[in-house]
Amino acid sequence: MEYARKPDPVDVLIVGMGASGGTAAKVLCEAGLKVVGLERGPWLRPREHFSGDEIKFLNRTYLWSDPRVNPRTVRMDQNETAVPTPFSMVPQMVGGGTVHWAGWLPRPRPSDFQMRTLHGDIEGASLADWPISYDDLEPYLSKVEWAFGCAGLDGADKYEPYRSTPYPCPPLPPTRAGKRFYDACKKLGINAMPIPQALVTKPYRGRTPSNWTSFWNGYGDPSGMRSSTLDTFVPEALATGNLELRPESYVREVTVGPDGRACGVVYIDALGREVEQEATLVLLCLGAVESARLMLLSKSRLHPDGLANNSGQVGRNATFHEYLFAVGLFNDEQPLYGFPGNYISGGSFQFYETDYDRGHIGGALIGASNVGQPINWNFPGRPQWGSAGKDADRDFYNHSMKIGHTLHDLPVASNRVDLDPEVKDAWGLPAARITHKAHPNDFRLAKWQVDKNVEILEAAGAWKTIPVYLERGRASGNTCHQHGTVRMGTDPANTVLNEWCQAHDVDNLYVLDGAGFPTATGVNPTLTIMANAWRCADYIAGVHAKGRTERLSQGRSGRAAARTS
Amino acid sequence: MTSMADWPVVPAPVDPGSDDRLFFDNHEWDTIEAATARIIPTDYDPGAREARAVRFIDRYLSGIGYVYAAADGSGFLQMSGRLADAWRARIADLGETYCQGVRELDTIARERFGVDFVSLRESHQDAVLEQLSGSSKPAPVGLTGEDGNPTIQVYAFDDGLTFFDALVAHTRQGFYGDPVYGGNRDRVGWTVIGFPGPESLRDTMDGTYSVREYYVQDYDWRDLIPYLRGAGRS
Repeated sequence: MEYARKPDPVDVLIVGMGASGGTAAKVLCEAGLKVVGLERGPWLRPREHFSGDEIKFLNRTYLWSDPRVNPRTVRMDQNETAVPTPFSMVPQMVGGGTVHWAGWLPRPRPSDFQMRTLHGDIEGASLADWPISYDDLEPYLSKVEWAFGCAGLDGADKYEPYRSTPYPCPPLPPTRAGKRFYDACKKLGINAMPIPQALVTKPYRGRTPSNWTSFWNGYGDPSGMRSSTLDTFVPEALATGNLELRPESYVREVTVGPDGRACGVVYIDALGREVEQEATLVLLCLGAVESARLMLLSKSRLHPDGLANNSGQVGRNATFHEYLFAVGLFNDEQPLYGFPGNYISGGSFQFYETDYDRGHIGGALIGASNVGQPINWNFPGRPQWGSAGKDADRDFYNHSMKIGHTLHDLPVASNRVDLDPEVKDAWGLPAARITHKAHPNDFRLAKWQVDKNVEILEAAGAWKTIPVYLERGRASGNTCHQHGTVRMGTDPANTVLNEWCQAHDVDNLYVLDGAGFPTATGVNPTLTIMANAWRCADYIAGVHAKGRTERLSQGRSGRAAARTS
Repeated sequence: MTSMADWPVVPAPVDPGSDDRLFFDNHEWDTIEAATARIIPTDYDPGAREARAVRFIDRYLSGIGYVYAAADGSGFLQMSGRLADAWRARIADLGETYCQGVRELDTIARERFGVDFVSLRESHQDAVLEQLSGSSKPAPVGLTGEDGNPTIQVYAFDDGLTFFDALVAHTRQGFYGDPVYGGNRDRVGWTVIGFPGPESLRDTMDGTYSVREYYVQDYDWRDLIPYLRGAGRS
């Protein structure tokens, strides 16, 4: 191993420059702190590197993390041997998951923060309240929506919680599939609304809405219309002069001093050299799978079970939001089209809150979408070859839609990320091993919601509907949503982070991605991840960096619930 | 090692007129071409044969020179580093899968019909593919019937595919993928399913290509969402 000269220590070291790392970099750099951002993947240039190439972006690993470089293994329980599986391969690059995403930006609901208070103990689950409430996060949800760009329709969502600001941009026009969804919802008395989306639909802060290609979900945006931290927060952080961004830098360990506090990290740079970088504060922003993995890799005398893991909770309570849906095939004359709008259109929060009459807790944001682009569009049972296959493409590519939801899966202590004993990544370090088995509530919730989606598709005039339930309870990682694994909470005995996402055991270590989520929420997590990272970065800049500490008083969650009716 | 952001573009797009063999020998080429023509057959519309899916597959398997088109379609990216290593190994595995697959097609064809796959009539080629895939040729979409393959991923990678699954996946890619990769000749695949695809990848970068006209043009949110009209909303 070749060693590089040790660079000077900095105030803050951010590991992972995606959704949360990009947000933290912006906030901390604008507050005047000196930040080094380490990103294991590349720093691509949207206008030069992104275009509407379905093969490159959906079938090859240009954005997606390559499973031969970064393998993962998956099993359902500890009696199985985990099998290499490309599970939740969120892009590892500057911008992270905000590069490939469709940009769903729905807000969480007050109930998401108090699942334990609302539902008590559920057998087999590890329900917990968040140590923060919706009210604590609300100002930051607004900050992200306005700094980042978000299109939405004010007043359309009957169930919307308190908002301190309107949407900065109006929604996209409805797609034809979306119009079918709105019409069906109207018929059934369901309140529908355009799902808030992270893009600009009017000239906004130097950005123009010019990417009408619909090469969106899974693609990088060459135009700056769809928001990503790569195209917004990272350039803003760089503009302060306080960020030094080092791409293609693979962090293999967080180092600790004799007092057990974090010193910095050791990483392998783009030239293959080993570099040690020291910092006053270390922020882990790698995503819930990789942050947990790095903590478990960072074993030392004072942290024999992994960094900040006295509780033994690092890696546990992982949730992954399996995407489940129903497809509708239509045989009338009106094409729905398989391309505009891509993965986002109308949705509804009508079935989001618990209704015990349904036989389960929780609910879902449902969303209508088209079924995909020419190569990869698919539905269960689509004839794979021969004239039946060609006819299916011809007849239904432009005459199909689906309605789906991301499953609000319950946390289970044994659903976890740990280190695979056999499989290694391209740097020779143990791969993340996922152990995940759905809770019985997950099956019931998914069944009810998918059946509801079938009902809406039938009201929309579908000739055939095809439900996709959570059949075997095996997570596939198909949403790329990752949460849990490094829980925040008030009790150091059973949580890893406090309410500022600061490690209980290591006071200069923070974990700002979805790993801190005590429960999954029922919405696409990135807005919540970014708002929470901003909130914690505010604390770091305003309190921690000034040598002070503050605690958030607990037991205020009732007010948030009362505010939302 | 060159950083991924700075991989050079080799200015060599696939020549749409060329049928040079870069990976397959002549027999393999002819066999795969015949097989792709059973996966997406020619009828009153062009099929995989006319789209030149076999050329798409041949270029893909020829090394790592045709894995990633340059964003604007002006050529292909010259990879280096760990991703290049991963792709070299992946393509080597796929190449082996295809070469074995051709031998398997011929073995089944000779056992059942006495000649190589490429010399069989179409119905017999279908019978060979049925045996290879382990299930009968798919029936048309009906109101009832088995609905398999439950989950859907945004991405679909090529690792661990059987020969038959690789053939199906790559025939689709060669029919519906951007023409820069050597298939979808004259954008026939897109024409067949009614996808108004871009003239070039460059057109998807600068706002030239747009599907804006396919959104609903004439709408009123208050009509689509009755709640917006309600007096009771907060």
